[in-house]
Amino acid sequence: MTSEPRLPENPPAAEWRGVRVRYPFAKRDAVGPVALEIRRGERVLLLGPSGSGKSTLLLTLTGLIPQSIPAEVDGSVRLFGSDAHARKPWAWAADVAQYFQDADQTLCGMRVEDEIAFALENRAMQPALIEEAVASAMERVGLPEDWRKRRSSTLSGGERQLAALAATLVQNAPLFVADEPTAHLAPEAAGRLHALLTKAEPDHSILIVDHRLDGLIQAIDRMVVLGKDGTLIAEGYPRAIFREKRELLMSLGIWCPASTALDAALAQAGIAPPIAPLSVEEALAHLDPASTSLDRIERARPAVETFVAERSARPVVTTTNPSLMARLTGADCAPFLGPTILRNINLAIHEGEILGILGANGAGKSTLGACLSGVLALKGGTRSGAPGGLAFQRSENQFVADTVREEMLTALPKRMAEDEKRRRVADAFARWGLTDFEGHHPFELSQGQKRRLALAALTIGENWPLLVLDEPMAGLDAHGASTLTAEILALREKGRAIAIISHDMDLALKLCTRCIIVGEGRLLADGPTETLLSDPQLLKRAGLAEPSCAPARRWLQQVAAC
Amino acid sequence: MLKALNPITKLFVCIIWLTAAVLVFDARFQVACIVIPALALIVFNRTSPLLLLALMVPFALFGLGFLTTSLLFRQESDFALRMAGESLFATPAFSAGITLFLRAIACGTISVFFALTTDPGAAVRAFMVYCRLPARIGYSLFAAMQLVPDLASEAQQMRLARAMKSGRPPRRFPGPVELFSLVIPLLAFAIRRAGRTAIAMEARGLSPDAPRTVLNAPRFGRGDLIFALVAIVVCGLSIGAGSSILR
Repeated sequence: MTSEPRLPENPPAAEWRGVRVRYPFAKRDAVGPVALEIRRGERVLLLGPSGSGKSTLLLTLTGLIPQSIPAEVDGSVRLFGSDAHARKPWAWAADVAQYFQDADQTLCGMRVEDEIAFALENRAMQPALIEEAVASAMERVGLPEDWRKRRSSTLSGGERQLAALAATLVQNAPLFVADEPTAHLAPEAAGRLHALLTKAEPDHSILIVDHRLDGLIQAIDRMVVLGKDGTLIAEGYPRAIFREKRELLMSLGIWCPASTALDAALAQAGIAPPIAPLSVEEALAHLDPASTSLDRIERARPAVETFVAERSARPVVTTTNPSLMARLTGADCAPFLGPTILRNINLAIHEGEILGILGANGAGKSTLGACLSGVLALKGGTRSGAPGGLAFQRSENQFVADTVREEMLTALPKRMAEDEKRRRVADAFARWGLTDFEGHHPFELSQGQKRRLALAALTIGENWPLLVLDEPMAGLDAHGASTLTAEILALREKGRAIAIISHDMDLALKLCTRCIIVGEGRLLADGPTETLLSDPQLLKRAGLAEPSCAPARRWLQQVAAC
Repeated sequence: MLKALNPITKLFVCIIWLTAAVLVFDARFQVACIVIPALALIVFNRTSPLLLLALMVPFALFGLGFLTTSLLFRQESDFALRMAGESLFATPAFSAGITLFLRAIACGTISVFFALTTDPGAAVRAFMVYCRLPARIGYSLFAAMQLVPDLASEAQQMRLARAMKSGRPPRRFPGPVELFSLVIPLLAFAIRRAGRTAIAMEARGLSPDAPRTVLNAPRFGRGDLIFALVAIVVCGLSIGAGSSILR
């Protein structure tokens, strides 16, 4: 699982020595001091809570900070043995391919084929070679040929992410740096991308920041963890860290693979896996129902049952006839100024219901969500019911005020008493972990913090009986996700209807009692989440994958059958 | 068909027509400058006449300014007398005003002809290859041109965000106050977007002076030659026809 030891004469691909970064007017360092190296051929995962400075650290690598983004940088950064700041950022493009957290920071608004060719044009490569490389990158990432002429800014969030990945992978640089490359990707595409990114090549190093660990972590050689203050708090092999530092990671709100919780539960039952597991299958491999003693199986069963129950939606006690919140009848849906992409949609959402909207990238989930909330007019058919609030996929689109505090205050009704406003805002800040950022401009926050602010502002008021949340977990750390989960459940208790657009099957299974799957320009399925997510054919057709706890569920079924 | 032409040919032809429209102070020629590009757009580019009319609104408003200025504030025109004399439309002031009005629309039509038949990316590539435009300037221009269509969708997102803040569904069409209030946020968006695009380009190796390949640059063909010749001849004939009618 680990890479071969490197020859000592080979300088590391990247090296930070005592690096600390402070943005102008900031009271504390955004990251650091950090001492870290990425060896050649090594695949390194960088983890840390939201706002710990992961993205900032990556931006120092080729000198974009401080040469293009102003900040004070102490310490030294070296690339392949040379001082990174000795060259301009653009001069490192042949050696370092950078995928930024926001796909819009990677793309320039050109047509897809031009976006992909851009880096190679800058290297003055022969046109025939560029054509070949573009076609190959598109095929590897899974971009259809008919996307070539589409402008990148007209793509959906997930589609943009795929195009941005193709545009960076085509560089074939010896160091690939990716900041949350799969945040908006459907599971099937994310799995394909993880496989591509982590393919072991002796001369290619990878530094990746990703919250989506299942399917990725097995290919990682070493992981590095930043604490809330932006300093290094753990470094080593993933198996060891997730077992030995689980409590620390959880306390900091750092995502762990699903297997970590199962490993801990089995350890508590006295039947821990012999090797720290990185997947649920690995965690249960030593408990094969066909060959394991009944005593061990009986000890394991409660732990596995609890693990599965914690990841499944709790049954809701509903009134016999919950009132209808919104309904689409024969709806044709199209994005703003775009063509119709979904036809004849019939869909209803009721009071106290959490509905999951699932589907592949570009299937039309966001458009459907906007139509369901009523903020986007239908091209055909009708919508009836209460107006809905929409949490945009890009949190930045939601901000209208100059400070975080003002953003929250303006979300409350004007007639509300000032004291009550202050109390509610302070309460929301504490709940969402935004207290330290009251005076900041919303655009100064990290992506995870922006997401928290957008969701906090949308849910603080009680304006909307129906809420549509578009990929609400993207960019959130585990603390943020847990706060959001609690908030969603509390809103349901108050009788609100909530639709969640997500690529996270675990989230859908945990929160949504019912899901719809969108694809092929229509609704492919509508039914109980557990049923839909256990239908392999449907999942394959829709470009989805089973939730991470599915192997545990199958294990329980095998045990029950024995 | 018009989209297949090299942007440089179209720019060259448009510059000739624009120059002629500015220099030839004749209402009939200005009408030709409006009708001929508009017909070419409708017939060869399948542009909707309604779209053309809508695009002409700002130019018509601009031209109306010239018309009213020359009618009301021309030094030799005595407004009260003219009004009483019932021959306002036959005056030189009106004639000059109407020519200026038509010239504004003519310039607008020629510009719209170029914009509606030219892909911004192809234009920038053509300038970089044939006119040796530095890549940094070329891609800055390109980013600016690409920003225009994106402003509409960004403005719509802002409207939705504001509507949600206020707890009411958004209006179908924005009012003037709402439109005005979007100006500063859209400017901020444009600045942010420009910064991000610059970083994206720099991170992918766009350098100020290093040699680079330009893929998909438009080429010159026989169609470009025919188009340029026909456009210049038609322009000349229109000028000639205008002056002979005048005589």
